[in-house]
Amino acid sequence: MSTLVRAPLRYRIPWKKIVLYVLAVAFALYLVLPFYWIVAMSFMHEVDALSVPPHWIPVHPTLENYLGFIHPNDAQQLVGGRAVSETPYSLRNSLIVATSTALLNLALATFAAYSFSRLKFRGSQVLLVLYLLTRMVPGIAIIIPFYLLMRSFGLLDTYLALILSYTTFALPITIWILKDFFRSVPRELEEAARVDRCGWFRTMWTVFLPVAAPGLVAAAVFAFMTAWNEFMFALFLTSTKAAKTIPVVAANFATDFNTQFTVMAAAGVLAVVPPLVLALLFQRKLVQGMAAGSVKG
Amino acid sequence: MAVLAERRPLGDAAKAWALNAPAMVVIALLVAYPIGYSFYVSLQKNNLKRPRAKRFIGFDNYKSLLSDHAFLSALKVSALFVVVVLGLTVVLALVLALVLNERFHGRGLLLSLALLPWAMPGVVNGLMWRTIFDAKTGALNGLLQQLGLIDDYHAWLTSGTGAFLFTALAQVWNTLPFSVIILLAGLSTIPSELYDAATVDRAGAWRRFTQVTVPWLLHPLLIVLILETMNAFRAFDTIYVLTGGGPGDATTTIALLDVQTVLTFTDFGLGSAYAWVITAITLLISVGYIGLLYRKGNFEV
Repeated sequence: MSTLVRAPLRYRIPWKKIVLYVLAVAFALYLVLPFYWIVAMSFMHEVDALSVPPHWIPVHPTLENYLGFIHPNDAQQLVGGRAVSETPYSLRNSLIVATSTALLNLALATFAAYSFSRLKFRGSQVLLVLYLLTRMVPGIAIIIPFYLLMRSFGLLDTYLALILSYTTFALPITIWILKDFFRSVPRELEEAARVDRCGWFRTMWTVFLPVAAPGLVAAAVFAFMTAWNEFMFALFLTSTKAAKTIPVVAANFATDFNTQFTVMAAAGVLAVVPPLVLALLFQRKLVQGMAAGSVKG
Repeated sequence: MAVLAERRPLGDAAKAWALNAPAMVVIALLVAYPIGYSFYVSLQKNNLKRPRAKRFIGFDNYKSLLSDHAFLSALKVSALFVVVVLGLTVVLALVLALVLNERFHGRGLLLSLALLPWAMPGVVNGLMWRTIFDAKTGALNGLLQQLGLIDDYHAWLTSGTGAFLFTALAQVWNTLPFSVIILLAGLSTIPSELYDAATVDRAGAWRRFTQVTVPWLLHPLLIVLILETMNAFRAFDTIYVLTGGGPGDATTTIALLDVQTVLTFTDFGLGSAYAWVITAITLLISVGYIGLLYRKGNFEV
């Protein structure tokens, strides 16, 4: 039947496929080329990086820029020495702050999100919107009181000041992501556990949370990213290598006019690797989590 | 039985508030209190460099904004920045999401690449584009010259318009992934029956797009609009590193001006007033957005 209807066989140009692949390649180049440039630079000697026309591939590849963070050579010590020597510390600080933020967020948000997904109570809608509204307040609006608050508690230049501030940034969104995930967990699981006389905490720990794990992962990655990328609060609240995070040190590279481009590029690459690895590792769950948390409202 | 039915909801409520207590305490202490306090500071003449002149002046800081050249200019730059960044981001994100929603070889790789800019802190994004736009050795100059499009290296960031446009481009690159993820998630929920029905009706690709995809995507698109509006309106770290607000005040957004006022000039009173204007505008946009969704019946909590 269908063979009768079909047009006589002739070569048809698959326009749709062509357009699709052209766009895909264009986007791939757009997304990767800028980053490729700093990766390439980070493996170059300063002379090669500054050449005109540029070398797109390192001609004399070197690890000097990266090794310089551990043992700066004379030239690196001379130019931009402070930012260089602070880079390893700032990476450690960022890792500690971002991981702690993710965990603290998860703990606080799990309780709150559970209440929205399982319990009926008056004011739940208002409370949810209130949580979201706190996220609408720009950081700059609370930085001064926050600074004074942390100063009076003696928390300036500590991890705790950063962890607390980033937790408040990420918490509303984390609660929203988790509440939708938790709703998708079947109630029967908990009821079965209750019949087996499990207490609430045990039911949560052994039955509920393992099933909700994908949502927890998405929320944790989101909080980690928020903390890793934040700059303004870190700039105000930290002053030494004891707590400066990588964006603060990276900004020092930019404001120091002596800095070598290649060392700066190496620091930039190091700053991107941990969150990038995390994002790629949990790619699928991230998209799922965002879908649950944002598309539904 | 009747007793149980009455007791249950009460127990639920108590449990719910107990479960919310930790989050509420943290938010009240670290957000609500600072917000209130910052409003109080905005009513003061309060400059760290002149501690003796500190006093309560009511709404004078706000009144001064109307004739504050730096403030008005920054507001204009921010508004323009929002329009340019938002326009580019929505178009690019929509096309990329539509591409990623198709099946083709290398789709997984493209999705991974689309996450790359998200992992980049704004400051590092600024550093990266600085090496690219650099007047003497930048990659953009090198590339354009090798392609024969320009004869000499240009200083892209020295003219006001140039600096503004290139800063916007740098910002767009950085914020693209978030919009793509939200739009992609929205696209993935469109039932394929809708497309099948449209195909049976012999609707062309363009009509399928305007009559099935776009209406279905309205809600995620609104979310992208609001999030990116707020992001662009508060844009600060990429610009801080890339141009520092210059040349002149061509790229001084309201958020950047605010940070400079507080950090460099230590004028806490005026800085807080700036911050409250930013807050007010953001809240206005958010409330309008939530209202819009609510009326469309799309906002469920």
